Amino acid sequence: MSDEAFFTQALARYERPLISYAKSITGDWESAKDAVQETFLRLNRENLKDLEPRLAAWLFAVCRTRAIDYRRKVVRFVSPDEGTLEQTADDQPAPLERLAQAEDRTQLAELLARLPENQREVVKLKFEAGLSYREISEVTRHSVSNVGFLLHTAIQTLRRQWNSSTQLPHLS
Amino acid sequence: MELLHSTSPLVMKTESTRITDYVLGELTGTEREMFENEMATNPALLEEVRQTQALCESLSVNPESEASFSEEERAVLLTRIRGERLEATEKKSRAIWSRIVVYGGLAAAACVMLSLSVPAVTSSRSRESRQLASTEISDSTAVLPTMEGASTLTRQSDYELAAKAQAVGTLIALPLVAATSMPLDDSSRPEMERSDKQLQANLGTDHSVSSGKIQDELNQQLAAAPASLVAMDATAITSNLPHTQVPGERRAFSLPEKTQELAGLAGAAVTPSGDWKSKEVKRDGVPMASLSEADSRTRPDVKLNGTGAVFGVAPEVDVMRGYRPQQQSEFNAEGYDYQEENRFLNAKENQLSTFSIDVDTASYSNVRRFLQQQNQLPPKGAVRTEELINYFPYTYPQPEGTDPFSVNVEVSKAPWNPEHELVRIALKGRELAESKRPVSNLVFLIDVSGSMDSPDKLPLLKKSLIELTARLAPKDRVAIVVYAGSSGLVLPSTADKGEIRAALDRLNAGGSTNGADGIKLAYREARENFIEEGNNRVILCTDGDFNVGITNEQALVDLIEKQRASGIFLSVLGFGTGNLKDSQMEKIADKGNGNYAYIDSIAEGRKVLGEQMGGTLFAIAKDVKIQVEFNPAVVAGYRLIGYENRVLAKEDFNNDKKDAGEIGAGHTVTAFYEVVPAGKPLPDADSVDALKYQTPVVDGPKSETRNPQPSEAKPSQSNELLTVKLRYKQPDGDTSKLLAVPVANEVKEWTAASEDFRFAAAVAAFGLKLRGSKSVQDLDWAEIQKLARPNLGEDPGSYRAEFLTLIEKARRISGEDEDR
Repeated sequence: MSDEAFFTQALARYERPLISYAKSITGDWESAKDAVQETFLRLNRENLKDLEPRLAAWLFAVCRTRAIDYRRKVVRFVSPDEGTLEQTADDQPAPLERLAQAEDRTQLAELLARLPENQREVVKLKFEAGLSYREISEVTRHSVSNVGFLLHTAIQTLRRQWNSSTQLPHLS
Repeated sequence: MELLHSTSPLVMKTESTRITDYVLGELTGTEREMFENEMATNPALLEEVRQTQALCESLSVNPESEASFSEEERAVLLTRIRGERLEATEKKSRAIWSRIVVYGGLAAAACVMLSLSVPAVTSSRSRESRQLASTEISDSTAVLPTMEGASTLTRQSDYELAAKAQAVGTLIALPLVAATSMPLDDSSRPEMERSDKQLQANLGTDHSVSSGKIQDELNQQLAAAPASLVAMDATAITSNLPHTQVPGERRAFSLPEKTQELAGLAGAAVTPSGDWKSKEVKRDGVPMASLSEADSRTRPDVKLNGTGAVFGVAPEVDVMRGYRPQQQSEFNAEGYDYQEENRFLNAKENQLSTFSIDVDTASYSNVRRFLQQQNQLPPKGAVRTEELINYFPYTYPQPEGTDPFSVNVEVSKAPWNPEHELVRIALKGRELAESKRPVSNLVFLIDVSGSMDSPDKLPLLKKSLIELTARLAPKDRVAIVVYAGSSGLVLPSTADKGEIRAALDRLNAGGSTNGADGIKLAYREARENFIEEGNNRVILCTDGDFNVGITNEQALVDLIEKQRASGIFLSVLGFGTGNLKDSQMEKIADKGNGNYAYIDSIAEGRKVLGEQMGGTLFAIAKDVKIQVEFNPAVVAGYRLIGYENRVLAKEDFNNDKKDAGEIGAGHTVTAFYEVVPAGKPLPDADSVDALKYQTPVVDGPKSETRNPQPSEAKPSQSNELLTVKLRYKQPDGDTSKLLAVPVANEVKEWTAASEDFRFAAAVAAFGLKLRGSKSVQDLDWAEIQKLARPNLGEDPGSYRAEFLTLIEKARRISGEDEDR
């Protein structure tokens, strides 16, 4: 497998989770994409063979640093709180059969947005990027057990809030 | 923590993270079995698990499509990556096959661009004209400035290149679809360029941040369109989904001549855009233009399906799972060398301790950046305790005699261990009145690569240099050399402050870091304007990737050392985050007789280049070494705090060829020894078996008598604790001068020690704790803060007050009082 093929696969696999993750830090898509672009440029300079076993954690760790860099730039224009809640679901017409699902997601996104930032971050890394506790620990520098704790707290909080909002037959 | 509001008897169980761990597959072996057994007999637990699972499934959604690059962004990224790879490949070896692969990849990319443009363009063309009409933009060039400001990407020449390749592709593709032939000669050039601009404008606005009415309208139209240009092309290029087999592909295969023309045009269509940046564009144009040759040879191997096509290689296996996991290490592109802290040494066997002074302060501002901006403890390797201590101004007395600095020794108790003593050796460089300063000949070597285009990098650098310019004396000269895709002298050496300002204002980031001979150019400029007995100095300003034309680190160090020998010094200013090659920057500044500062804020820029310019720029003594001889009669052992990478062999002290640190006008240098008094046990003493053939060294004069020194006479009878010896050279001198200061064994109580002593000791404790030193493990952050707080003194610049906030931050981050 050539480096190029490795690279494109890495891009295909992690592009969206990385951009989404970066956006949760920067608050806007443009900076998020810039951060991810820099991350991949950085990746290009690494020895890919060495990096491969820890690729996911490496990508997210570098991306995180870059995104934090950008956040300072952006924070003056966009308040991070209003920036974190995705609004696309509202803007785009969804087919009828997917409407209910979309509502669930919007609601979940709202609940998610209310979580403390460190919990939101690990949730994103876990569920969008599919990282293990250990990888999340490497990215965020929380200890592995703290990652578990943060995730647990986040998930159980979400579950409780979602349950109490009642209208979700498949969860009640 | 949050508890479930359910009233089940499982409340206690939910306090553990086991449910979540189980659902997320992080429970293993017996834990997992036990949990499953429990679940089988406990319906309430099962229900909780089921709910958690359902929630996790709902959370596991793919990020929305907005979270992906547009086709243009991806094209830019891939072009840049190929460009870098090409350079790297050509540098490493000029093997033909590798070039064929890369060029073949480019050819394939061109094919893809062409082919994908076919279906996309027809629909987007009409939409584009609608957009333009509806937003009342009749002249497409008017959109260009928006694009320029919209994104950092747009400033890269690669972007222009990619956009142009796209534009050309569009131009050719359109006639193909329309089944008309269009002559691609010079007469079509104007139209081509116009369409080129239109497309660029379109590309620019597609991902422009600058919102506003126009943008909103465009977005709405894009969103409303059945398949937008962006979404469609992005999917086609990146994913392996079946529908990426767009019909246009076959067309591209059947038209090789057109493809070659396209490839040639992609190179030829590049127009110089101004000064040194244009060289880069042209250079990039060359391989593009030569595509057509490699093209025909490699095409048979090129598979135009999905992602592989872009590089001319089809994806084969899942690379993400191909390798066994290895041991994990530091996950940051920043580079830090961790050196273990100096150990306690037995004073009987190691009477002499030798080190070079270090006036760098970069580590402190870097640590501050980690704590304040990144909310994390710095990596241990980034913490150099001596640099933390030396960051602060201290009020040591000015030298009285002819020596360029004063030596001040103070002895008190170690605040983290009442049994130990702390010896502070402090130097203060003579302050120079501004009128007495030597004339400066400065050459700024500035990294203007794309990565510098961040508010905490080039803009901060410019502000800092403007501060410096304001303080220069009329005769001082400044030249500016930049490096990125190419290097160039943007400001020949001048003493005209207005010109310097103007040149600084013009600096912009863009391009990749690959300035051929940037550093040589800087040294040449410094040489040509050399000022005898002046301050001749190259100041390298970068965020870390200082590929200044010499890639081999040793060759770089050799060059710097050679220049140093002829009187041109080198200082390094570090900027920004994520990329900082801290260890390397410190090393080369060290080799260049210069200093290394890390600038994280305009306040720091002001401190380093403004307030401390006297010290930062005017060395008043060089190769300053300190050797301490301990009196084994009163000292059981000692260790040097910090200076881990400055420790010298005892022989180096008298060796004038051995390079050491410089001290600048008004600078202070502080070093601490932690001393274990005679009769007390040494911490972490090595358990080495007693020597069989030698008797341990006993008190008294011994073989280390190479240096004439006052304390040598009768140390065993002396009440002296130690003797501090210093060697230094005049900035232009070759032979060193020796100073010796005997220190009486009089230990002050902590409360009787000077404010400076106590504050610096608190900073030392802070550094040790950040490095995870066992010696301070019993001291918590709050106690360090208590040590520092009463000792802020006058605190000009409020640096000490800020230190208190850093301790607080470290305390919170490490969760000292967090209830876990």
